[in-house]
Amino acid sequence: MLKLRLRQAAPVALVAMLLLTLSACGLTEYPNTTFHHNTEFNSAVDALFDRLVFWGTIVFVVVEVALVVTIIKFRKRPGGPAAKPIHGNAALEITWTVIPALILVLIAIPTVKTIFETQAEAPAGAIKVEVIGHQWWWEFRYPELGVVTANELYLPVGRTAAFELKTKDVLHSFWIPQMGGKRDLITNKTNHLWFTPSADLPSSAWNGFCAEYCGSSHANMKFRLYTVQPDEFESWARHQASPAVFSATPAPATPVIPAAQVTVADSAASVAAPTAGYAFPKDRLEAEFPHVIPQTPIPAGITFDDALLAGGDPVKGATEGFLLGGCIGCHAISGVPGAVSEIGPNLTHLASRHTIAGGLYRNDAPTLARWIKNARHLKPGSIMNTIGKGEYDPILKTTNTMGLDDRQIADVVAYLMALK
Amino acid sequence: MASHAAAASHGAVAGHDDGHVHHHHTTTGLDHRKIAIWAFIGSECMLFASLISTYLIYKGKSLVGPFPHTEYVDAAGKVFKPILDIPVTSASTFVLLMSSLAMVLALQAVQLKGQPLPAGAGWWTRAQRSSQLWLGVTALLGAMFLGFQAYEFTSFVREGLTLKTNLFGSTFFTLTGFHGAHVTVGVLWLMSLLWIDRTRGLTPKDELVVDICALYWHFVDVVWIAIFTLIYLIQ
Amino acid sequence: MATLATPTPAAVAGSDAKSGLWSWLATTDHKRIGTLYLWTALAFFLIGGLEAVMIRTQLARPNMGFVSAETYNQLFTMHGTTMVFLAVMPLSAAFFNFLIPLQIGARDVAFPRLNAFSYWVYLFGGILITLPILFQAAPDGGWFGYAPLSTPAYSGVAPGSSELKMNMDFWVAGLQVLGVSSLAAAFNFITTIINMRAPGMTLMRMPMFTWMSFVVQFLLILAFPPITVALVFLMMDRVFGTTFYQVAAGADPLLWQHLFWVFGHPEVYILILPAFGLVSEVLPTFSKKPLFGYNVMVYSGIMIGFLGFGVWAHHMFSVGMGAVADSIFSLMTMLIAIPTGVKIFNWIATMWSGEIRFTVPMKFAIALIAMFTIGGISGVMHSSPPADLQQTDTYFVVAHFHYVLFGGSIMGIFAGIYFYYPKITGRFLDERLGNAHFWLNFIGMNLTFFPMHFSGLLGMPRRIYTYDAGQGWDLFNLLATYGTYLLVVATAVFVWNFVRSRTRGAVAGGDPWHAATLEWSIPSPPPEYNFAKIPTIGSRYPLWDLKEPTWNADPSGHAVPSDPSDLQEETASHTAKALGIPMPYPTAKPLFTAIGLVVMFGGLLLFRDHHAVGLAILLTGAAMLIGGLYAWLTSPLE
Repeated sequence: MLKLRLRQAAPVALVAMLLLTLSACGLTEYPNTTFHHNTEFNSAVDALFDRLVFWGTIVFVVVEVALVVTIIKFRKRPGGPAAKPIHGNAALEITWTVIPALILVLIAIPTVKTIFETQAEAPAGAIKVEVIGHQWWWEFRYPELGVVTANELYLPVGRTAAFELKTKDVLHSFWIPQMGGKRDLITNKTNHLWFTPSADLPSSAWNGFCAEYCGSSHANMKFRLYTVQPDEFESWARHQASPAVFSATPAPATPVIPAAQVTVADSAASVAAPTAGYAFPKDRLEAEFPHVIPQTPIPAGITFDDALLAGGDPVKGATEGFLLGGCIGCHAISGVPGAVSEIGPNLTHLASRHTIAGGLYRNDAPTLARWIKNARHLKPGSIMNTIGKGEYDPILKTTNTMGLDDRQIADVVAYLMALK
Repeated sequence: MASHAAAASHGAVAGHDDGHVHHHHTTTGLDHRKIAIWAFIGSECMLFASLISTYLIYKGKSLVGPFPHTEYVDAAGKVFKPILDIPVTSASTFVLLMSSLAMVLALQAVQLKGQPLPAGAGWWTRAQRSSQLWLGVTALLGAMFLGFQAYEFTSFVREGLTLKTNLFGSTFFTLTGFHGAHVTVGVLWLMSLLWIDRTRGLTPKDELVVDICALYWHFVDVVWIAIFTLIYLIQ
Repeated sequence: MATLATPTPAAVAGSDAKSGLWSWLATTDHKRIGTLYLWTALAFFLIGGLEAVMIRTQLARPNMGFVSAETYNQLFTMHGTTMVFLAVMPLSAAFFNFLIPLQIGARDVAFPRLNAFSYWVYLFGGILITLPILFQAAPDGGWFGYAPLSTPAYSGVAPGSSELKMNMDFWVAGLQVLGVSSLAAAFNFITTIINMRAPGMTLMRMPMFTWMSFVVQFLLILAFPPITVALVFLMMDRVFGTTFYQVAAGADPLLWQHLFWVFGHPEVYILILPAFGLVSEVLPTFSKKPLFGYNVMVYSGIMIGFLGFGVWAHHMFSVGMGAVADSIFSLMTMLIAIPTGVKIFNWIATMWSGEIRFTVPMKFAIALIAMFTIGGISGVMHSSPPADLQQTDTYFVVAHFHYVLFGGSIMGIFAGIYFYYPKITGRFLDERLGNAHFWLNFIGMNLTFFPMHFSGLLGMPRRIYTYDAGQGWDLFNLLATYGTYLLVVATAVFVWNFVRSRTRGAVAGGDPWHAATLEWSIPSPPPEYNFAKIPTIGSRYPLWDLKEPTWNADPSGHAVPSDPSDLQEETASHTAKALGIPMPYPTAKPLFTAIGLVVMFGGLLLFRDHHAVGLAILLTGAAMLIGGLYAWLTSPLE
């Protein structure tokens, strides 16, 4: 008897937990909850979900209570009533066919309505964002604004963002749980999704994920969304659209640089003094949005002499490192002639980002150095070559005899960290 | 019902020594193999439905030619004619259709085995009684169809269409190749029957075995009609 | 073609060898084949469970380093593949084999040697797909193997390399081999059920397990061809360079998804309906009542099977099919909830007014009702596409289908194992250990899977080998991992009980549970010929008519009571020979033919990298297959 009740109590208690969780969805412990009403999309989904939970709970309670009552009431016991040979009851069976059907109608109507609402054309005046999936990082393009960036998405609050979703390789799925439902990135196809971050949201940071299994580092294909005030967005976009700002001072052409590269260093250095654009403030992230700061530990087995970082020479990093070290084979930096490849993330304003490697690591000099040295060690399956000299490449299963030594990598890091 | 069943089940015990399965009592009265072949054909329908659907889904989606019904000029200016040769395939379709007719006659011949010829039977009536003739004709027509297919495949390859060329090549060769493999199995099956007929002679008791082969053969034929219509005739 | 064989002299049935390895390798007895299925599938169930334990250990805490990303991806791919194709389906097949002939009053299946062939193909296919994990080369593209991740362009040993990893080759080949096994078995059982019922066993008198199995066989023959085609395309892409899923040639990756899910959704019912059938046997027996609404139970099963083919794209709501397609598939999916709900209510009504005995099988059956309901409700939640967009590919879905497959299929199969173990072995499973197993299993399951509802709705994607700290998922993952460890204990108790009771369990008679259907009218374990005399059936509950007429007082009065003399349990053991019953010869030809089939696929796998060797092996396998088939078809059955 007691056992029976305990057994049946377990799911009931768990449902109570569910309801508690639902009511607790505003708490910061659950930074990726799907229950927020930050967009009209999520409000619609949540209204639907509430209805599903409501009817689901009723059905659950009816079935489980009927089950428990039945097995208690009709358990075999001395002196209990004898079993009745009932073969069926048409009226009853029709009843429990029709009632669930009616409940389903009550679910189906708002479902279809919401499908057509959320899949309608995006409202006029939406800001267009191309989302391009890569194994395993995100490329974001704002064609109207001339901005290309990676793994960090900025959207102004109160304005609809209309996404065009594409992929360069396998299938991925674009998902920001707090903003709305996901949509897959399908090869040879463009998908669409739109939502409007609520106008009364303060500037905030959110996590985004890849939700379709896409190979070794599927788990490491994350991104960040910053919903910011319109003026902040404007500042950010204007700055991001400008060519690379090489703010290291001074940046004269030094004699060591071959003549052919002088122009490069020149062009990087000759850009007008940086009018630093907006970037989501790091201190606010640490104080209010710790969940968007990666805590991934750097795997053991990779060493780098951090003391070299302080002495990194950004000019050498730009020329001997970035240009001659092979980086331009994959990475673009706007304003640097020849650096136009779209295989890897666009690095034009790398230093304005808070994360690297598909949101896997923090963007700071020591991490960046290790990443450049042996990306495949830090991120399973990464397409980025092993750059560090003498490093073991876990995919090619060979040791890299060419490549850059720690000092040269420190130079590259100095250069990249200067790309505010 | 009960007494009939009991008798049949008794028969199963008593008659087990003749080496045939006919004596087994079955619920429907049909042989097990007849039920199984129908289930098998049901499953095969889904197989060909999937193959044909794939072809239709990819129809017109190939990035490069050759194409089935339209001309294609590649980057180097080379011209590829529409690749499907409908007159030739119409001929091979006719051959396969005729093989179904021959199959019907083969089954009829097996059923009529041992019955005396009516007096004054002409050559056609006599020919109708020859199961070997009609099994042979069916197999031969099937083999001719395969010959047409071999000709078609090799000429397509010569014209620049292989399995790897484009979506059309992959779907076309796979679909028609699957069908060709079915025809090949059918021809081998028919030749086995012919061999048995020549060595020990098929009798009306073997009707079922020929009937099952015929069902399979007609199915393969019907599938070809679908393929011919959807792939060749409809542009 | 068996009839074409030269007539042989009077064959005396059966083999004299009743034990020893050869008696198993050459068996054509459906009960022995069922037993082989049961042991093999349980072994794979343990392997799949071990994979789950490793998965959960890796996810116990954020940023764990228990296994690498590559290993994890192999583990979750193999966990799904193993549990679906190598554990739950064959566990159902064990019951199809053992029970269907007994329940319909037949002496064997329609094609005993084809039956043996199905088993051997399953075994070798299972080994082909499982063995590579020992070499860190197991399939790693998910049990769903989505293109283009599974195509050559993304299978290189290194980015851009033209040398391919073999991982997914094993999966592609293994699933095709397993498909052959399932299809062959399905043709066999369809024929058996249509054509081998005892006199008086009309379709609407068949036991519910046989009915649900009947529906499943149709699902199998209609659902396996599409995935076979999908796999053939993928294999040709990988081996011969065709373009079916090659994105550079303009292929549409959704082709794979459609073909896969046209199979994949009926597959869900292939996994669950046999369990529904099993509990539909258990519940009436221990409630001492006929099944409530037999006709409706049959029709709802057929309805579920039928609708199951019209809902596949609800696995694809996030791919952007458009609002109209989303709406249609959504409504179709909701429709399926209706016949499923009817089943739940009818089971409860079956117990209502009964005298419920809480045996271990009954507890598992009741647990199925309670747990499957949860999976069903969350299923309705996914049927609404906008809501599904927040749920699909998250742990919420993982929770959902584990409530369906663990709370439904596995609970039902355990109910079946405890219920039929006495029939299979002649001995009971230990009741005390069984109770311990049940409670540990029940609690462990809920502890494992319920928290996943939360982690999913709180934003945790599926198939991730690791997650960062501070995402609000830590507690739920830790609970799930503890639950998994509890399931390990539960399974250990079960395995101990299962092995021990074979020799030390209490002896069970022919009808230890006072059940109603034909399989209980014969000794336990049944003699090789099953029924000394084929019974004539007068109602759905022939044994109750005979022993407990009041338990089945059919108010409609249509059912004719079964003939008592047909259903007397055999007490003396006779051999088939002594009774003059013809039995199929034991033969290893199906085994040989199955080896040929697998060797053929092995050759095909080698072909890409080693043309000559691969071709030689392929032809050897083909020769074995054809030779074995020829020898098999030209030798008499019995």
